[in-house]
Amino acid sequence: MNTPVAGDSCPPRHYTHSTVQLFRFSAVSWNSHRIHYDSAFAASEGFEDVVVQSTLHGETLTRYALTWAGPNSRLETVSWRNRTTAVAGEPLTWTATVRAVEGARVSLDVAVVKADGTPCVTGSVELALV
Amino acid sequence: MSALDEVLARAQRLVGRWEDEDCGTVTVKDFCRYAAALNDADYIRRAREQDAAGAPVEAPALFLAATMSWEDGPPERELRPDGLAARESPCTDGLAVRQVHGGQSVRLLRPPVAGSRVTASRAVTSAERKQGRSGPFVLLGLATRFTTADGTELTAVDETIIVQEALDPAGAA
Repeated sequence: MNTPVAGDSCPPRHYTHSTVQLFRFSAVSWNSHRIHYDSAFAASEGFEDVVVQSTLHGETLTRYALTWAGPNSRLETVSWRNRTTAVAGEPLTWTATVRAVEGARVSLDVAVVKADGTPCVTGSVELALV
Repeated sequence: MSALDEVLARAQRLVGRWEDEDCGTVTVKDFCRYAAALNDADYIRRAREQDAAGAPVEAPALFLAATMSWEDGPPERELRPDGLAARESPCTDGLAVRQVHGGQSVRLLRPPVAGSRVTASRAVTSAERKQGRSGPFVLLGLATRFTTADGTELTAVDETIIVQEALDPAGAA
């Protein structure tokens, strides 16, 4: 990675969560909320399919940012807001733009975007370059 | 009183009351299974090599923040109809509501290392009634602070939960 400057866009990454991944993430995080693994129950709450966990969005956005920044980067903070739900099998894109660079600290505006361009998650990641 | 009014009243009584939960001693296996759910084979290989060499093994960055509960249970009969336990669904016991995460803010202070005993201190920090595009809801604010046995703070989490009336009140209480 070249030295980042404010305004840089990170290459977007496309990804689709499988139902198996959502089940395994629920299991490993001891999250028994049925909207994440029971599609009939998810439908009863108005969702098209099983719902991607909020914390999985946070994880994947963080990992996307860390991968972009390279092995000498460390996560300091991440925050995100869920704007609409994403479901299993849905094509998603992770995006990020460098908001600020202060010394060895890089702040990124990040998002998970649906195929039609609607952001389902927006947030920020702060990394330390070590 | 509506279900949302009751959620709000219960939450307001809890605001600022901190409770501790023993997360137990975190292990390399815990970390590797978490990484596996994220398809992170590189983490697993690296962690196992470090462990075999006797080196400290740090958890994946959001391991503590993403783990929803550290309880041994509860058994299925004690879950709400939506699958959530009382611990993960504060203030909603017996009420016909549905809920989703609003968002989260995570500050990493020190990585948890395998073999550490971790405590989670948790409190409801705010409760507000709001009006959204899909109707009224209660926005709960929760804070969790993870520390080691010697009081070292590891991870600080602030999150929101959106509580709405159930679409099918008869089946959701």
